[in-house]
Amino acid sequence: MTDIVFPAMSQDKADAEGVVATWFVADGETVAEGQLVAEVAMDKVDMEVTAPVAGVITLAAAEGDAVRQGGVIASIT
Amino acid sequence: MGTVDTNTRTDLYRTMVLIRSFEEAIRAEYHADKKPAWDIGAGLIPGEMHLSAGQEPVAAGLMAHLRPDDAVTATHRPHHLAIAHGVDLNKMTAEIFGRETGLGRGRGGHMHLFDPDTHFSCSGIIAEGYPAALGQAFAFRSRGSDAIAVAVTGEGAANAGGFHEALNLAALWQLPVVFVVEDNDWGISVARSASTSVASNADRGAAYGMPSTRLEGNDVEAVHEAAGEAVQRARTGGGPSLIEIHTLRLWGHFEGDAQGYRPDLDQVDERDPIPVYEATLRADGVLDEEGIGKIRTEAAARVEQAIQFAKSSPTPDPTEARRYVFAGAN
Amino acid sequence: MTATMPQTGSRRLSTAKAMVEAISQEMERDESVFVLGEDVGAYGGIFSSTTGLLDRFGPTRVLDTPISETAFIGLAIGAAVEGMRPIVELMFVDFMGVCLDQIYNHMAKIHYESGGNVSVPLVLTTAVGGGYSDGAQHSQCLWGTFAHLPGMKVVAPSTPYDAKGLMTAAIRDPGPVIYMFHKGVMGLAWMAKNQRSIGAVPEESYEIEIGKANVVREGSDVTVVTVSLSVHHALDVAEQLAGEGISCEVIDLRSIVPLDRAAIRASVAKTGRLVVVDEDYASFGLSGEVIASVVEHDPTALKAAPVRVAVPDVPIPYARELEYAVLPTPARITEAIREVMHP
Repeated sequence: MTDIVFPAMSQDKADAEGVVATWFVADGETVAEGQLVAEVAMDKVDMEVTAPVAGVITLAAAEGDAVRQGGVIASIT
Repeated sequence: MGTVDTNTRTDLYRTMVLIRSFEEAIRAEYHADKKPAWDIGAGLIPGEMHLSAGQEPVAAGLMAHLRPDDAVTATHRPHHLAIAHGVDLNKMTAEIFGRETGLGRGRGGHMHLFDPDTHFSCSGIIAEGYPAALGQAFAFRSRGSDAIAVAVTGEGAANAGGFHEALNLAALWQLPVVFVVEDNDWGISVARSASTSVASNADRGAAYGMPSTRLEGNDVEAVHEAAGEAVQRARTGGGPSLIEIHTLRLWGHFEGDAQGYRPDLDQVDERDPIPVYEATLRADGVLDEEGIGKIRTEAAARVEQAIQFAKSSPTPDPTEARRYVFAGAN
Repeated sequence: MTATMPQTGSRRLSTAKAMVEAISQEMERDESVFVLGEDVGAYGGIFSSTTGLLDRFGPTRVLDTPISETAFIGLAIGAAVEGMRPIVELMFVDFMGVCLDQIYNHMAKIHYESGGNVSVPLVLTTAVGGGYSDGAQHSQCLWGTFAHLPGMKVVAPSTPYDAKGLMTAAIRDPGPVIYMFHKGVMGLAWMAKNQRSIGAVPEESYEIEIGKANVVREGSDVTVVTVSLSVHHALDVAEQLAGEGISCEVIDLRSIVPLDRAAIRASVAKTGRLVVVDEDYASFGLSGEVIASVVEHDPTALKAAPVRVAVPDVPIPYARELEYAVLPTPARITEAIREVMHP
């Protein structure tokens, strides 16, 4: 199983929080390596998140939920 | 004055005579059938007519340096520039007469002449021809060509927004453009002194960061010299320039303009640049009576041929009025 | 549904990313395509319409301009006349006032005035629409204004799939196309979005025919003709009303010029009832044109008076309560459908 974590977008605050703005895949979908799975946002900066491996994705955060950088937002088996 | 060789001087004169011959012929045709009451919409050439008599030195001096693949954007007063740049005289005349064989198949008219063969275009919206020239220059440079764009407006346009935006962007991007301002003293009925906050638009060009100059005297050879420098600068990657040329509007803003507002009306004819240049060429031994006569006769014949081509061309089919709105299947 | 919809399970993009993908693929394919406008470079467009293009294609093909709409739209026109294919962005459609001459007197008329001898293969992209309190000068749609002026095609995609297909078609079109993207369908991270702003998009290049509407939901009781963000609201309402036994047919126009009058007429011939949802101003625009298209063709087609849901000829207000009182909300669409069902 591979975790997808909220990317490190803040140098200053280690526990800075952002949100998953958009999920591009549904819970339980099969994803390909490199596929765009989410767009996250922190302090008005947006970043794309892609699947590090292929597999079935399980979402761990809902759109709009606050998530700490480094926190798990999904996992792929 | 730099030295301009004899052949060039003769060519400059020949171009100016051709332009004047054309404008006089169009003027006659335009008014011929608007009688007895003058109706702007009547006759073989209806609508507005803005003729360039007196401004021939600008066209002749400038276009002598251009190639057919150089672009020219002009205004509602375009004939002298089109003729000097080599736009097909038959097709141009047919367009003025609104015929199917015209440059725009009769859909554009005298203010909207488009000739892709010489990259010539004009429009009647003040200052709005400057931006398109930027784009043509941009395209030429993008393709590695040394073709340039020449954008011509009147002095009234130098107070309009598009003029200023275009100068800034051309200088910022160092586009291969030559900006020309034809100062004929009058924005319709408003004198330059009543419209323009500065004495010279060369100052405005300089304010936008480009080499700029203002020429007095409506002198075709002075235009030729200044234009040569500006064209060369643009062609060799030196960026844009601005040339303001103090010229002369010999006739009204448009045909039908009584010019009651114009105090210098009775002195205008003595400033006519063609007799002035003709006298100079005679004095310098470049042309004699016979040579002048030959040039005039040839010009008149060429113009007559164009007018006959136009008059004998078919008028457009009204059922096709909506054709050419969109590109593609038509 | 049209036959060209992609399979479920294909990868999804936001409308913004789909639009960018189309531009990117065309720029790869055709080196005469280039992009210019304010903040289209490093910023990627303030509504993410050009994100990533500068990195991929460099500053000679993706150009930030000064705030000089007349100059840079005119520049795009001149470049197009010489055979390049510019994509020029007017940041907000509300800014059209400062450069409308270049658009409607030049871009739109050169082909006609030249008797077809000069073409202007240009795409003018622009952000439209309200709903996030940007006020009267930053929330308009104005497709009715552009559509009214001859010589330019006008498209407004509502979904990622349509956004990519219409952009590809617009770039390849030999004439000028105004591509109007509603900020509310872009799927931006920083603006509330409808779930339909994210959708499946094929990876390969494809075109959607400009001038062809899409029946996005089939129905038998009432035809709802709409475009852009309002398509999403209309579909939400249709789903809800289905539970009450009202069967709505929703037509996504996709193109305003050319207007797919045949699709509108065919649908109304079937249902006999018409609701038009148009986020532009109500009077003298698209909604009236849709109704006229039906009535001119067959005045007997309608069983009830048509109803339009549009912005009621008022500058878009700033305060949320006021803004949402004038926008064509799902509540107003619902009310309009009920009205046409039971006049």
